[in-house]
Amino acid sequence: MQEQDFDLIETPENVELEQRLAGIGSRLVAGVIDVIIMFLVFFIGFLLLLLASGINSVGAAFNMQAWAVAFMVVVLFLMFWGYPILFEYWWNGQTPGKRHMRIRVVREGGGGVGFAEVATRNLLRIVDLMPFGYGVAGVTMFLTRKVQRLGDLAAGTVVISEQATDYSAFSDRTTPKEWEAAMSPAALRATSLTPQEYRVIANYHIRRTELSLEARERVLPKLLAPILARLGVQLPEMSVVVMEAYVDELMDKARRAEQSEKPPEAQP
Amino acid sequence: MTAARFLETRGPAWDRLEELLEAMGRRGVGTLSEEQLHELTRLYPAVAVDVARARLYHLDPTTQSRINRLAVQAHSHLYRGARPRPLLAIWRFFRWDYPRLFRRLWAYVVLAVVIFLVGGLGAYASVVMRPSTAYRLVPFEFDMVDGSEEVTAEDISERFRHMDKPPMATGIVTNNIRVSFVAFALGITAGIGTCYIVLFNAIMLGGFAGHFASHQLSYEFWSFIAGHGILEIFAILVSAGAGLRLGISLALPGRLTRRESLRQGGLEAVLLVLGTIPMFVVAGLVETLITPSYLPGGLKILLGVLLGGGALAYVLLTARGPEPTGLRDAALT
Repeated sequence: MQEQDFDLIETPENVELEQRLAGIGSRLVAGVIDVIIMFLVFFIGFLLLLLASGINSVGAAFNMQAWAVAFMVVVLFLMFWGYPILFEYWWNGQTPGKRHMRIRVVREGGGGVGFAEVATRNLLRIVDLMPFGYGVAGVTMFLTRKVQRLGDLAAGTVVISEQATDYSAFSDRTTPKEWEAAMSPAALRATSLTPQEYRVIANYHIRRTELSLEARERVLPKLLAPILARLGVQLPEMSVVVMEAYVDELMDKARRAEQSEKPPEAQP
Repeated sequence: MTAARFLETRGPAWDRLEELLEAMGRRGVGTLSEEQLHELTRLYPAVAVDVARARLYHLDPTTQSRINRLAVQAHSHLYRGARPRPLLAIWRFFRWDYPRLFRRLWAYVVLAVVIFLVGGLGAYASVVMRPSTAYRLVPFEFDMVDGSEEVTAEDISERFRHMDKPPMATGIVTNNIRVSFVAFALGITAGIGTCYIVLFNAIMLGGFAGHFASHQLSYEFWSFIAGHGILEIFAILVSAGAGLRLGISLALPGRLTRRESLRQGGLEAVLLVLGTIPMFVVAGLVETLITPSYLPGGLKILLGVLLGGGALAYVLLTARGPEPTGLRDAALT
């Protein structure tokens, strides 16, 4: 999942925007939500028709049962083909399920989808479903860098995630101010780092999950080597695992030191 | 300017853009007032630049991703084609775009027709020459002719006469549209799947026709089939032509990358498929109401020829002149 998480948009402003690609998981959940909605609509329609045909006068006037079956056939057809096409068209690349998951179909390279794109990717769904359970879609999503199913390839679309990425799970400080605060004398003392070193290490610590393994292998020794040399620390080996364990330990120390400092800091 | 100062001065713009995007929600720029729209067009480029500056300042990832997300969302709302008024757009599509699209892609449809004729005539000839072949080509669970008794067009129609009309109509129409969608979508297999669908249908029809012909029941057969069948098969072959366009764009990308070629092929061909829907509706109504009726067979065949000819005339002869700009503009506002 790490090789390419982004689709790049070249804007007229000459700024490259990144759209984060939606994962297979959230697309799957969105699909399940849509299926549930379709099923509910179908089921309610079915109940209503059942009730209506139960009313004798109505039932006698028409061949109610026949009309009900005919109607349900149309509804089923519209559900399978019409629902995704119409929603994605009118809601700018979203179905109710996609909206709930905060993902969206967009043109590769940026821009909202038009009718032809939406129609193409959804007509090709029938092939993506083969041989069963989105088998073809699963394979092509796995093989393409931008997690596209066949329909996406033919329409030139990608599904992106609009979820605000919450990095606070990796760190409890996200603004520069919090950063300054975190570099309390206690934290620096506990880790024996200079403010600059601390900033470098902490920044790496936050972003490490975003980086590919190769990037971490490349970057981490460069960041850590001068610090280790200054501190006179010798690690058993310079592998990512060991180095990251060391970084974790430093961050842990810093946090503990801060926490023990908390009460005086809380004073206005 | 320091990072902190940057955050402070630009923060309100991001908040405002977020507000606007939130207000638009799923519906897009159409829901905004003129004033808000102007605001959006002013905010977006500034925020796009902020994305670059945030990178420059190495702002924290959360803020960077937030500005980026706002810019992307605004971009996707601003850079999408105009959204036409639905009914007018549909009218315009069938009045102007569809015949022209057909004439742009006619060669692919002809290719589908040739494949169909080869399969159909082949099956027909082999059954006429050796009638027993029919049992291998055609599913005979609804064997209408066993050769032992005299069968008339009446008998064939009789089977359909007692069916409930409404579900029969919707069943036939939806099934045929589905087949045409599949014929198109299977084009993604470099056209092989589409050829399979075309050949399958050709052999069925040719096989049946040959079977009835070898029992001297050709007139009965065609008076049953032709009324709805000509238009129906025409529409299927148009969809198959669209599938071939898709498949050939993938197989023979020319100077484009395969990916780009496929994209262009798909987007061009898909509307050719969707335009067949009305044909299937008409054919389905004929199949439900007229095919099983007591009308004389000759009349049914005539109707079929007229419908098929009408569809052909529509795609070949209409929308020849320049399109009045008034309609185009009206459809887009």
